[in-house]
Amino acid sequence: MSSWFDYTLNGIIIGNIYALLAVGLALIFGVARLINFAHGSVYVVGAYAGFVAVTQFGTPLPLTILIAVAVGALLGLVIERFGLRPLQGYAHIAPLLATIGISFVLDQIMQLTFSPDPRALPSELLQQRFQVGSGTIGALDLLIAAIGLASAGLLYAFLRYTKLGWAVRATAQDRDAAQQMGVNVDAINRTVFAIASGLGALSGLLVGMYYNYIDPAMSFQATLKGVVAQVVGGVGNVPGAIAGSLLLGLVESYGIALFGTSYRNLFAFVLLVAVLVLKPNGLFASRRQTPPEPMTGTFIAPSKPIHIPYRILVALALVAALLPAVLPDPYVLQTLTNAWLYGLAGLSLTLIAGTVGLISLGHAALLAIGGYASALLSINLGVPIGLSILSAGLIAAAIGTLLVFPSFRLRGHYLSIATLAIGEIVSLVILNWESLTRGPIGISGIPPLSIFGIELDTDRSIYWFTLATLVVLAALQFRLLGSHLGRVLRAVRDDDIAARSYGIGLNRYKALAFAVGSFAAGISGGITSHLYSYINHETFNSQLSILALTIVILGGMGNVAGAILGSVLLVGLPEVFRIAAEYRVLIYGLVLLLLIRFRPQGLLGTV
Amino acid sequence: MTAGAAPAPKPAEPLLALDSINTFYGPVQVHFDLNLTVGRGQIVCLLGGNASGKSTTMKIILGLVKPASGVVRLGGEPVSGLPTPQIVRRGVGSVPEARRLFGEMTVRENLLMGAFTRRDERAIARDLDRALGLFPKLAERLGQRAGTLSGGEQQMVAMARALMGRPKLICMDEPTMGLSPLWVDRVLDLIATINREGVTVFMVEQNASLALEIAHHAYVLQTGRIVLDGPAGDLRSDPRIRDAYLGGQDKT
Repeated sequence: MSSWFDYTLNGIIIGNIYALLAVGLALIFGVARLINFAHGSVYVVGAYAGFVAVTQFGTPLPLTILIAVAVGALLGLVIERFGLRPLQGYAHIAPLLATIGISFVLDQIMQLTFSPDPRALPSELLQQRFQVGSGTIGALDLLIAAIGLASAGLLYAFLRYTKLGWAVRATAQDRDAAQQMGVNVDAINRTVFAIASGLGALSGLLVGMYYNYIDPAMSFQATLKGVVAQVVGGVGNVPGAIAGSLLLGLVESYGIALFGTSYRNLFAFVLLVAVLVLKPNGLFASRRQTPPEPMTGTFIAPSKPIHIPYRILVALALVAALLPAVLPDPYVLQTLTNAWLYGLAGLSLTLIAGTVGLISLGHAALLAIGGYASALLSINLGVPIGLSILSAGLIAAAIGTLLVFPSFRLRGHYLSIATLAIGEIVSLVILNWESLTRGPIGISGIPPLSIFGIELDTDRSIYWFTLATLVVLAALQFRLLGSHLGRVLRAVRDDDIAARSYGIGLNRYKALAFAVGSFAAGISGGITSHLYSYINHETFNSQLSILALTIVILGGMGNVAGAILGSVLLVGLPEVFRIAAEYRVLIYGLVLLLLIRFRPQGLLGTV
Repeated sequence: MTAGAAPAPKPAEPLLALDSINTFYGPVQVHFDLNLTVGRGQIVCLLGGNASGKSTTMKIILGLVKPASGVVRLGGEPVSGLPTPQIVRRGVGSVPEARRLFGEMTVRENLLMGAFTRRDERAIARDLDRALGLFPKLAERLGQRAGTLSGGEQQMVAMARALMGRPKLICMDEPTMGLSPLWVDRVLDLIATINREGVTVFMVEQNASLALEIAHHAYVLQTGRIVLDGPAGDLRSDPRIRDAYLGGQDKT
């Protein structure tokens, strides 16, 4: 019985910590219509600010809290300045992607500064525990609950009784009308970012104290938890965010009690997808409507693509094919092989995100499904490798489309969040379904690439195999884009209501495009697994999803040649310049950020 | 001018003047050399059919849209190019198209939002009482969420909200749109009342005959050009008003 008390208490405490995150996300969404993916980075920075203050300067707790909040608020102002303000008037998805870029940059800076190793965040006086009935309650628990309540109370009073608070609410409800009352909405944005980020940093500090553990990688999970809590409570709804956070904390805590720790995040994401699909306005939205996404504008920047004549494309493919004969350097060939594999993922995403406008943030899951499918088919069932890779493509197409199908009714931000969550769910299922996937151990001894029984054991043969696969799939995608079907898909992207009124069954076309795209991603994952000979649930992680998206934006959304060019540039160049791995993520983040700001249509233009 | 002659008296500076405004939405030109003035203490009405550029004129004055060329002057000083909140601070109140109340906030909060730029709490409280005197119905609705009011009541809130900023000039974008005939009369009466209390009114209307009843002066806008202007009394009987609404047939 006492353990249930502890689990409930733990759920409420964790819920409080999530609430500090989610409230900030809700405020930011309210005034800026933006889901701030850099919020988790602020949380990490807050935790480390507290860590530095305590370990270097021995600050007392109230001062530590103050420092973390101040650092967070300042960082919030910086994020607003670079992530949001320059992008006013861009498509709504642009600032969202910019905050993803910012979070990559911030997280990587934190890793480079503090090393990826976890640290302990000592909290001296708070180890006391008090007996309450049959359970115990710690001083730290009480502190976190008190801070959560106090923050909620202050925020309520601010929004309800101060002029600035009214201006925040007015801006959230009607930006133009607020301006006409004399409200400087840019200043309101800054205020809100500062408040939200201060609370987010406080959340990071508290969670570090609660677990006595911090590391830079907790950023992404924190963002996701905040987003889950917010969506559950209703996007942009501040009281809803608090309720959603407590619910999420309890669901997680009871879930751990019943099934074990490794299921914790699975519950969070299943809850998210369920709420998104069944009640996209949130559980507590009785009278409040989610602000509508714009009809169009999931697409970043329409432009005229740069036309590359057919002959030149063929010539380029020939040059690529002849390269091993001229330059048999294994390092170059391996690098380019890698680029072709990412190119396949890029082809896939450029079709789904670019041509059909479904901006997927969980694309790595498709590669993971393909990788596991081909590996398991060849190991467990002895399927010949070529056939197993082909099957991997088909399986990725089938499972991927089935998983994402319920989300097709969502648009813009909501769809992106759903794909992100589905990606996480796939990764967590792989981690937990030990009888099939061998769980955290991963799959080793995956047989090397071979085709028709002939083993591809030279760098050159592998290079040719991946290049040939890429060329065939790229040619098919060119044909698709030029066909009637391609036009229909673009119509679905550009204005789904208009497309629907012309009798186009949207979901069928979205599913078709998703299946075709997933096939290429599955093939890429399948080949990768045979090249690596070992994969686990982290081989295809969320960084890969964002890299794929950056490749696609760099090349030009929907642009087939652009996806390949983007892949060569982003995967190939860092390799050629031998940039250390930890700086690569930093570069990807910066490239994403700069692209969205200065060339959202990509190098070759959107199609 | 010969020496010794008395200099021509300088005409009173109009409160608002639009001087050769050209506006574009992308490649589409909305205004063609638009000139327009609003004298102090007047009700000036801008009439025109759909897509004539009426609402854009309003947005130009409020700084929500920037003209490609031309100047907007308020009391002689150029304000075009200033951000909207700055223009509002200089004494321009707005009753936007379709009211645009803050629906989730109470009527009281909406009214006080109108006084956002002011710091004189006591005078604000007095003005709130005055506004409630002008719109007695609102007094019983103060604690209610603005989104739950009827269209006519919302229009009153929007007008009272604009007054709370103590503006010199109130811009109203189609204040009678979507209201029942009874409410239309009431709203027009209130506009006249507000004007009598010293506030200059610039309003955009589709409903020409009604607007001309209370206006002093009117302009008729057709596809971005002023095609007609004059004292409201003269325009009331002018057949060309009707032409402007029927899409502008070729005139001989």
